[in-house]
Amino acid sequence: MHIDLKKEIKESGPGKIGIIILLLMIAVALLAPVLARYDPYQQSTASLLSPSWNHWLGTNHVGQDVWSRLVFGARTSLLVGFGVGILSTLLGTIFGVSAALVGGLYEKVVMRIVDAFIVIPMVIIVILISAYIRPSILTLILLLSLLSWQGGARIMRAQALSLKERGHVAAARSFGAHHFYIAWRHIVPDLGPILLVDFIYSVRRAVFMEAGLAFLGITDPTVVSWGMMMRDALSFSYLNVWQWWLVPTGVALSLTIIGLTFVGHAAEPVIEPRLRGAEVA
Amino acid sequence: MFSKGNIVTYVIAFLFILALNFFLPRMMPGDPLMAIYGDEALIAMTPELKAELVERFALDQPLWQQLGAYFGALFQGELGHSYYYNAPVLPVILGRLPWTLLLVGSSLVLSTVLGITLGIESGWRRGSKTDRSMLAGLMGLNGFPDFFLGMLLLIAFGVTWGIFPLAGALTPYSGLSGLALLLDILRHLFLPVAALTLAHLAGGYLLTRNTMITVLKEPYMLTAKAKGLSQRVLKYRHAGRNSMLPVVTQTGIWMGRVVTGALFVELVFAYPGVGYLTYEALLARDYPIIQGVFLMVAVSVLVINFLIDLSYPKLDPRVSYAY
Repeated sequence: MHIDLKKEIKESGPGKIGIIILLLMIAVALLAPVLARYDPYQQSTASLLSPSWNHWLGTNHVGQDVWSRLVFGARTSLLVGFGVGILSTLLGTIFGVSAALVGGLYEKVVMRIVDAFIVIPMVIIVILISAYIRPSILTLILLLSLLSWQGGARIMRAQALSLKERGHVAAARSFGAHHFYIAWRHIVPDLGPILLVDFIYSVRRAVFMEAGLAFLGITDPTVVSWGMMMRDALSFSYLNVWQWWLVPTGVALSLTIIGLTFVGHAAEPVIEPRLRGAEVA
Repeated sequence: MFSKGNIVTYVIAFLFILALNFFLPRMMPGDPLMAIYGDEALIAMTPELKAELVERFALDQPLWQQLGAYFGALFQGELGHSYYYNAPVLPVILGRLPWTLLLVGSSLVLSTVLGITLGIESGWRRGSKTDRSMLAGLMGLNGFPDFFLGMLLLIAFGVTWGIFPLAGALTPYSGLSGLALLLDILRHLFLPVAALTLAHLAGGYLLTRNTMITVLKEPYMLTAKAKGLSQRVLKYRHAGRNSMLPVVTQTGIWMGRVVTGALFVELVFAYPGVGYLTYEALLARDYPIIQGVFLMVAVSVLVINFLIDLSYPKLDPRVSYAY
């Protein structure tokens, strides 16, 4: 596994664009309090205003500043996205690598559960559970992570199985190294690029899901979210407010997902090296 | 590829779905009657009704007896009673099902055919300008959530230009019949199908293109070229057909996505299918309907995945040697 991931992404045009979009979104999320001109939750009587110097994107139906909500919405999206990305990649690595190293009945049971989860449609489960518990951001991160680590675990296991047979791992084992030591010192470092691809796709799925659930109105209604803003805006689609309320929000969400897709696709030859050369050839 | 092991996978998945359906409402804090029957049931609640409801699912009994009552009802095809519609859940869902099947079916066919064709064309020209702009364009399109695409189409073609109707599946009280009725249905169907198709086009496209690129490097492609076969035969019969296989394996997962995608698109266009029903049920906290839809959708997707697993070795005999 000696593939230079940085090179892989840099050599792809969309990959570069993706990185730029993502950095921009992260910057917006981090600088939200600076960029926002109002408290995103502050309601006022000045509702459904058109854009002006005071309200760059006008105000919504309860008089909240749309621009400020847009900027703070980036935080929710990225927080859920990166939270799920980290947690589900972590779970996938733990189960995938341990299944490959321990083997036997343990591997069979883990992989059976992984396969079962892959055939169940995840979105509908998340909707059912959210309908009951109306998840907060933290619960949502936990819920999505628990339901989305399985795909990654499968790839990680396959890779760990082949790494396990390498000379240096066999040498370490002959010195009496423990499973955990082998996993930490010899397997996980070589999984690096695959971890990143898995991470990016988990983030993308989570951003999508968070927006979708908020659009359905089954997330925490007190947290500003792009999905929720679009849901509110939809009910006023007969007015011209969609131009500055609905479209910028949808574009922000789509750009985030497109950025993640581009980076993920550029990094994909790491998993499937035969695809290399498809971009530049 | 198909073995006893696969059946075990599906049994586990099925049991997980049932367990979720059974335990989730019963584990919620507060009155389980409310979590099982929904808000509306509590409003209509009389002592007699309450006693009947408790009895139906054996709610005053230990958990394992409740489980027995649950399975008993399920295997008689009883999905529960919606107090919001004051009707059994199953007919309510079945009444909405044709619209969703129409919407999902047309989008699935359109996005598969278009996706595979574009994938073959793009993979054949890999690295060219056409390929690269198609790739970037479709990956960009892939980033648009289906409900946002739907809203854009709705605003452009419905609100601004008024070419297509804004909501629903039929013009109400129009008294249309025959060809006029069919045209009316198609006019209402157009925008939702367009949104769903565009949003799910990239899946099949990317997969076909990737396989196409690997297939083109196969030795049999060189042989076919050496035989002097025409470009068209090479592209479609030799490379194209073999590039479609992974798309088939993905159809199950993909269908799950289109069905849930339909939920969002139906909401945007107030299209009266199962998705819109679910949305109304979420608003009204009509849990029996939500549970019923969940069970039906999850089990259908499982069954389809299972059938695809069964048929795959017939489509690609190589997989049965590999295992």
